[in-house]
This record gives sequence, structure tokens and C-alpha cells, in this order.
Amino acid sequence: MDSQWQIYQVFEKERADLPHRNAGSVHASDAEMALENARDVFVRRPNCLSLWVVPERAIFSKTVEELQDNAWRTEMQNTSAEESYLVFQKQGQTARETFVVHVGDVAANSPQQALERALETFDDKNVFVWWIVPERAIIKNEASDAPSMFEPAHWKKYRNHLSYPVEPIMRELKSAQEMLEE
Amino acid sequence: MSEQEKLQEFEARIARGEKIEPGDWMPEEYRKQLIRMISQHAHSEIVGMLPEGAWITRAPTLRRKITLLAKVQDEGGHGQYLYHAAETLGATRAEMIDALLTGKAKYASVFNYPSLTWADMGMIGWLVDGAAIMNQTMLAHCSYGPYSRAMVRICTEETFHKKQGMEQVIKYARGTPPQKAMVQDALNRWWWPVLMMFGPHDSNSPNSAQLIRWGVKTKTNDELRQEFINKTAPDLQLLGLKIPDPALHYDEASDNWISGEIDWDEFWRVVKGDGPCNKERLAARRDAHENGAWVREALNAYAERFEGEG
Amino acid sequence: MPNNSLANKILSVADDSFILGHRNSEWAGHAPILEEDIAFANIALDELGHAQLWYELYQELTGAEPDRVIFFRSAAEWRNTQLVELPKGDWAFSMTRQFLFDVYENVSLERLVHSTNPRVQEIATKIRTEEIYHLRHTSNWVKRLGLGTDESHARMQRALDELWTYALQLFVPLENERELIAENVVPDLGILRDAWQEKTVTHLSASGLQIPENIDSVPNLRAEHTEHLAELLQDLQQVARSEKFGVEW
Ligand SMILES: [Fe+2]
Ligand SMILES: [Fe+2]
Ligand SMILES: [Fe+2]
Repeated sequence: MDSQWQIYQVFEKERADLPHRNAGSVHASDAEMALENARDVFVRRPNCLSLWVVPERAIFSKTVEELQDNAWRTEMQNTSAEESYLVFQKQGQTARETFVVHVGDVAANSPQQALERALETFDDKNVFVWWIVPERAIIKNEASDAPSMFEPAHWKKYRNHLSYPVEPIMRELKSAQEMLEE
Repeated sequence: MSEQEKLQEFEARIARGEKIEPGDWMPEEYRKQLIRMISQHAHSEIVGMLPEGAWITRAPTLRRKITLLAKVQDEGGHGQYLYHAAETLGATRAEMIDALLTGKAKYASVFNYPSLTWADMGMIGWLVDGAAIMNQTMLAHCSYGPYSRAMVRICTEETFHKKQGMEQVIKYARGTPPQKAMVQDALNRWWWPVLMMFGPHDSNSPNSAQLIRWGVKTKTNDELRQEFINKTAPDLQLLGLKIPDPALHYDEASDNWISGEIDWDEFWRVVKGDGPCNKERLAARRDAHENGAWVREALNAYAERFEGEG
Repeated sequence: MPNNSLANKILSVADDSFILGHRNSEWAGHAPILEEDIAFANIALDELGHAQLWYELYQELTGAEPDRVIFFRSAAEWRNTQLVELPKGDWAFSMTRQFLFDVYENVSLERLVHSTNPRVQEIATKIRTEEIYHLRHTSNWVKRLGLGTDESHARMQRALDELWTYALQLFVPLENERELIAENVVPDLGILRDAWQEKTVTHLSASGLQIPENIDSVPNLRAEHTEHLAELLQDLQQVARSEKFGVEW
């Protein structure tokens, strides 16, 4: 079958006081193109300060339902050296909360151990999904590239519905018609 | 847990308003229906780029040209978000595209109608995107997490699509005689295909009840269609446009605009591949896919050669 | 009349951006993969946006409205290079053209941000932010296609062979351009050409591509066009010209 390249998960930071959150994914042939594709796909509108991409295969994920089965704990192989893992959670069910967001980091020598430590370290009330990502797998945009990647979206006023003020015209027409009918 | 207990727990979760996430247990039928729905939806966005895309080079002002290109591009983005949502259920994009190009997968039949004049750009924006928004607003509450998240993003982007269309229709309906004629003609051609977008009557929609029970949909086809007519018909008439349905009337008792019967023979003909532009649309997609094969291959080859070198 | 030579210069810059954006927009819905369909549309949108800014400045200088300039001019009145009016060709052709043009824009904008004309400086500063990204994206594409497969390499080489001479037209000065250079309103095209040549040659060579040696005669008058422009304009202008100028759309 035809190649559609690799899948990279994309994380965007929308505001200085908000964590990176999973926006979706992009297909790309390599890391640099993944970062660029993430910019072009997810930063058409002015809401991005920073982008991360991660090859999908580097993500270890468990839903709360999956955690009920303890089998993953026995899959643990502590062979590699300790390294830093990023921990992500989905913390709610409403439209606003339903995204997977970055909550912090742990050191561990396998994704399974990282999850175990994350379960101890981070509040797990109202958590529905856990993602564990080795920090070395994350490709981040350079801070110096941020202006050329993210600023232009602010100028694209044509993507804002306020550039097409149709309501006042329709209201005017409506009141004119009502006056006629009276 | 037995399958029966799993199903009960699954339905209880949905009843509690929880979202189902990739990795969670789900009935095979839920997965199957979602892959079908989401990939159809994705294909619709992608094929939907074509009727409008054909007019980007002919837009009559620089502002309209930029707006139309940005809108067509957004539809590509929507397709992208949706393919992603379907991938979380185990479908691959390559398989989905293959199903589209070989005619196995369906997409919104409305895109199999031709865009014949510039006024179609206004009418498509207002009516087609307007109808899509009703459906998508509902799906933003869907029980499957990735689908609902894609919809949240899409809904915020769609507003300008509809408004830029409406802005044009308003202008042309009150414009020069040729503009008026053009926009009326556009309404004549698009009104019925747009009503068909909501799908068959509830009585003919076998999957509907189960999709509602599983929280994928929260409204039926007929309910959404009625909402759309109520919302749109008065505004079109206010502009002095004539809706091409002699039976259309306002029913005081139900506070509804009641339309005449849709030509369901036409609907099924177009869905089954025999609409005015089905062949053309698929040929365009197939060309893009085949002409792009060497490009996708080249980037894979480069990645293999220079893995890790950046 | 320095204002007149400035207006002519601005019009040529606007026309280049506009026609290239127009050509690239033809890829919308037809690109090799979805992500790049979106990315290339971004570049097309940017180029059209840049044209808009330059046409607005042109209007300030001459009073001519942008939509009249775009939709009610015949081929001989356009001041774009032939490079941008050529049909979009295959993906290698469009990408190579965009790369060659982006390098030119970058070396030019690096200097225009210091223009003594405050409006030129203002517009250049804004545009430059986007152009830095264009060049990053198209450079990456050129490298990958140049070094990808035999087929992609051959297609890139063919595109480059065809486009190189056309690209050199970007550095042919307009009549009276010297006045603008003397006043530091715009940079000297000779200097731009050297900077462009150095950047393109370095990157194209690193991408496994050969710089064409036999240079055909470079088109030198911006009033002269290929037959493709007339065709393009017929498409571009047909709806607008179905009504008198001034009718709103
Ligand atoms: Fe859409
Ligand atoms: Fe839309
Ligand atoms: Fe550019």
C-alpha cells in the first residue's frame, strides 16, 4: 500500500499560563518536516506560542480502564539507563477539558516505570488517560524560530468571522420588514 | 467480565457523559460505525475542496480570492483532523484514501454537484457550510473523544466559512440584475442538494437509533434538517430570494417551516455514484494521489538515507 | 519624478507576488499529500497577502485601486517577471520556482527593512517574518527532492534547468531604478544578484543539483510576457469583468 509517511503527535501551547496540549497529529517523513507540518496544519489561527512533535510510536499510553488490568506492570524492563519522561493527562470530559495536557516530568528507566512513578507523583483524581513520552523523543521548535512560525497567524484577519459582519445587515432587513407588516 | 457486562459498563459510561478513548473497550459495532462515519466525513472535507477550489483563480476581488483560498485550505485541515480521529480507531490513512479512490467509501453527495458560477461560492458557504455546522456542533458532543475533539476545533473554524458566503449572497441579492439572477440561479441549484446532506428520513436510516444510544449523535437526520430549514429559509426570503420549493410553508402550530418532499431517487442515485460530478471528483483526487506518489516516495528515501542527521 | 519610479518598482514587486500566489493557489486540493496541500496554500496566501500590502502602497502613490489594477489590466500592462507566470508544472517545478523566488525575497527584504522610505520599511519588516519561514520550508523540500530518489532528482534538475534563466530576470533593473538606489529606497539589484547566487548555488549544490551553465537570453522587459500570462488573465479576470469596475462583489 501507498506510503503516507509516519505519524507524529502534535502538542501546542496556546497561552503562557497553559501547558502544552495534544492538538492532533501530522504525517511527515522526518522530524523537521513534522514540525513544519504541525505549524502549517495547526497554526493557521493565532493561538500558538510553542509546538512539540513526537513520533507516535514513542508514546506509551494507558486509559484508566486499561490501568485496571495490571499486566502492563509486568511488561516492565528496567534495562536502559534512567532518563526523563514527560507525563500527560486527560483531566476531564467537557469540551474544554477533554484534551491530553502536559502535567510534569519524572525520571525512570522505562516507560512503564515512568507511568508507575507518575501515578504516585501526580494527582490521579479525574484523570482518564495517561501518556508517557521520553523527553529525548520530543522535537521542539527553537525559540528563535517562534516569530516566523507563530506571528503571521495574527495578521490573517480573513480567517476571523468578525471580518464578515452580516448580522447587522440581516437585523436591519428584518426590522424594515416588520415595520412594513405593521 | 463477560462481553455482556462489558457492553453494560460501556453504555453506562456513555450515559454518565464520559468519553470513550482509544484503548478503552468498545463494541466492535461502535468501532466499525465510527470508522465509517469519520472517514466519510474526512473524505467529504477533502472532496469538498474541489467545487470551491475550481473558483479560486476566478475570484472577482483580491479579498474574495484570499478568503476562498483560506476556506478551501481549512477544509483540507478538517479532513486532516478527521483522518487523525479515524486513525485512533485502527484505520490507516492509506487504507481510507484507497477506499475513497476505488469508490468503496462514500462522501457527502452534495459535492457531486457542479459549481457553475461565482455566486455558487456564496451559496455553498452559506448553505453547505451552514448545514455542516449544524451537524458538526452536534458531533462536538460525540461520545468518542478524538472525534469530539476534532469537532471542537472544526466548529471554531467554520464560522467564517458560513459568514463569508452569507456576505456574498446578501450583496448579490441586492446587487446588479445579473448578480441577482446569478445568485437566484445558485439557490435554485443548491437548495435541494443541501437538504439531502442531512441524509435519509429517520424511518430510512437504519443506524440512527443505535448511534444516538451510543452518544455518537444526539439528534436525528430529520431533526437537524428541520432546524436548518427553520434557520435558513426566512433569511433567504428576507433577501428577496425565492426558495425552489412551491410546497414550502410556515406552520404556525409547530413553529416550523415545512418543506416539500425531497427527490429521494436523485439522492440515492448520487450517493451510489451516478451524480453529475462523481467521476470528475474522484478523477481529480486520483490524479493528485498518483501524481504525488513520486514525491512521497522521495521524502521517504531521503529520510532513510539521512536518518538522524536532521 | 522619484515618486513615479518608486510606484513602478512597487508595482513590479506586487505583480510578482500576486501572480506567484495565484499560480500556487492552483495546487489547493491537488498537492501530493494533505499536510503539504495545507502548507503550500499557506505560502500562496502569504504571497497574495504581500501583494495586497504592496498594491496598497501603490494606491497611496498613484491613486489606483488594487482591484482595478489586478482585474482591469491587460497582459502588456503587467510588470511581473515571466518566471512567476509559467504554468505550475509538476511538484518539482512549483517547489523549485518557489525556492528561487523565496531566496530572492529574503535577500531583498533583508535590505528593504532598512529602506529610507518609511512605508517600504514597514511593509518589508512585516513580510520578512513570513519569508523567513517560506525559505526554511522550500529549502527543506529542495534538499529532500534533490537527494531523494533518482526520479525526484531528475525532475528537480529538469525544473532547475528550465527555471534558472527565468529567475535571472528578477535582477534586471527597471528604468530609473538607479534613482531609488541612490536614495537608499531599494537595494542595488547587482548586489542582490550576488547574494542570491551565492545562497542558491550553495543550497542547490548541497541538494545534489547542478547549476545550469548555458544561460539563454534573460527576458529583460517586464512588459513582455509569455502566452501563459494572457491565459492566466482570462481566467483571473472573467468574473470581475462581467461587470463594470466599481460593482461590488
Ligand atoms: Fe469543513
Ligand atoms: Fe467549511
Ligand atoms: Fe515567499
